[in-house]
Amino acid sequence: MEKKIEHFDVIIIGGGAAGLTAGIYCGRARLKTLLIEKSLMGGLATYTSEIENYPGFPEGSSGTELMELFHKQAKKFGVTFKGTAVQSVDLTGEEKIVETFRNRYIAKAVIITTGGKPRLTGALNEDIFLYDKGISFCATCDAAANTDKTVMVVGSGDSAIEEGIFLTKFAKKVIISVMHDEGIMDCNEIAKAQAMANPKMEFIWNSTVHSYEGADHLERVILKNTKTQELQSINIDSCFLFIGYLPNTELFQNQVALTSRSNIIVNERMETNLPGVFAAGDVCEKFLKQVATAVGDGAIAGYACEKYLAEGEIFEQQILNEGKKSLVYLYNGSDAVAREKITLVEDFGAKHPDMRVTCVDIYKSDGLARRLAVKDIPSVVYLNNSEIKTVLSDISANTLSTISLS
Amino acid sequence: MQEYELDCMGEACPVPLIKTQKKMEELAVGDVLVVHIDHSCAVKNVPEWARTQGYNVEIEDVDDGEWDIVIEKNK
Repeated sequence: MEKKIEHFDVIIIGGGAAGLTAGIYCGRARLKTLLIEKSLMGGLATYTSEIENYPGFPEGSSGTELMELFHKQAKKFGVTFKGTAVQSVDLTGEEKIVETFRNRYIAKAVIITTGGKPRLTGALNEDIFLYDKGISFCATCDAAANTDKTVMVVGSGDSAIEEGIFLTKFAKKVIISVMHDEGIMDCNEIAKAQAMANPKMEFIWNSTVHSYEGADHLERVILKNTKTQELQSINIDSCFLFIGYLPNTELFQNQVALTSRSNIIVNERMETNLPGVFAAGDVCEKFLKQVATAVGDGAIAGYACEKYLAEGEIFEQQILNEGKKSLVYLYNGSDAVAREKITLVEDFGAKHPDMRVTCVDIYKSDGLARRLAVKDIPSVVYLNNSEIKTVLSDISANTLSTISLS
Repeated sequence: MQEYELDCMGEACPVPLIKTQKKMEELAVGDVLVVHIDHSCAVKNVPEWARTQGYNVEIEDVDDGEWDIVIEKNK
């Protein structure tokens, strides 16, 4: 099938809380925005029947309803939606290419909001009891619902033990299933010591989940001893799995920088290692995975993306000046001495009317300095024929006059 | 490659899914089927079934409460 080519300012990959929020920000900034979602709009939040910690909804909301509102709001700002899987991407060039089975989309920027999924044990009947049927992946979300109940935690890493300790504030008993020998856990020593001393916590060593049982909701977990193969049935009200998280980043491997756990590495502006490629939400390496934090990430990514595109336009039109002579003064607005030199640069420019002078305050965004690959601030950069001819960091009337204006 | 259309407007689940499954059998590899639906449950179960078959799927919003499901019989 011949793929249809379409152009956008920005393409958002993934329609969960982070992607929809980025869509709202991009759409509202009047960017031509495409959002591609491979299955159901709303992402992981739609698997949650009750979201009680998203601000603005004191009565709580179902994940599906909440995400429906996000979707509606993004639609209102003119975001185009496509419900299909992305097959491949090429994000390394100036033009970003995103292919689906019917289209080849070309954009100036991409925001990756593909999220991820919690790792499962693969035990019998697991699929029947996922999420609101008894198998949970988030103590922050579901602890309160387990007040005075008996819960099981599977795993012994930092998140398993720390979340397990958190659960003891609500549940009457927290049973931890650890696959290692007695006393061996994957978590840090402080958490381990704290957990071992907690009277509400009980450990079952050398165990893995064999199966889950229950009528409508999860009632029992059958553990298997990894040494004796013996099965042990344990009555519980909920089971929390903390055995890892798998980010959806297969598509971006070898292009976008990832952590050893395959999360995307971003800075505080949600920028990845590639110019014009941003990431937001659970796909990123981050401290807390919640709808509220995904929304924050998405807003930053949308805003940063808009700034990146605006800077790109300034760079093309003003800095490169259609190949004609251009003088750029990069300074930090909070530096008083550097501010005083603006007049110096402008006076110099006034003597050369064939040259365009641009003064750039990098305090808010250093994007233009990065495009010019200038690290020393303040600096004066002289360009001709769209090429950098001179970079000057010692700025005075004398040094300016030494620039060869060819 | 041929493109076929299937009109399931006004039809409730599971009729669109059953009709889609039947129609897909008639298609050759490389053919594309566009299913027109206006029942929200079909937006879930038709693409879900097609994905489990390994087919390429795209959902297009035609209007409020109206969708086209594009399925490519890629194998």
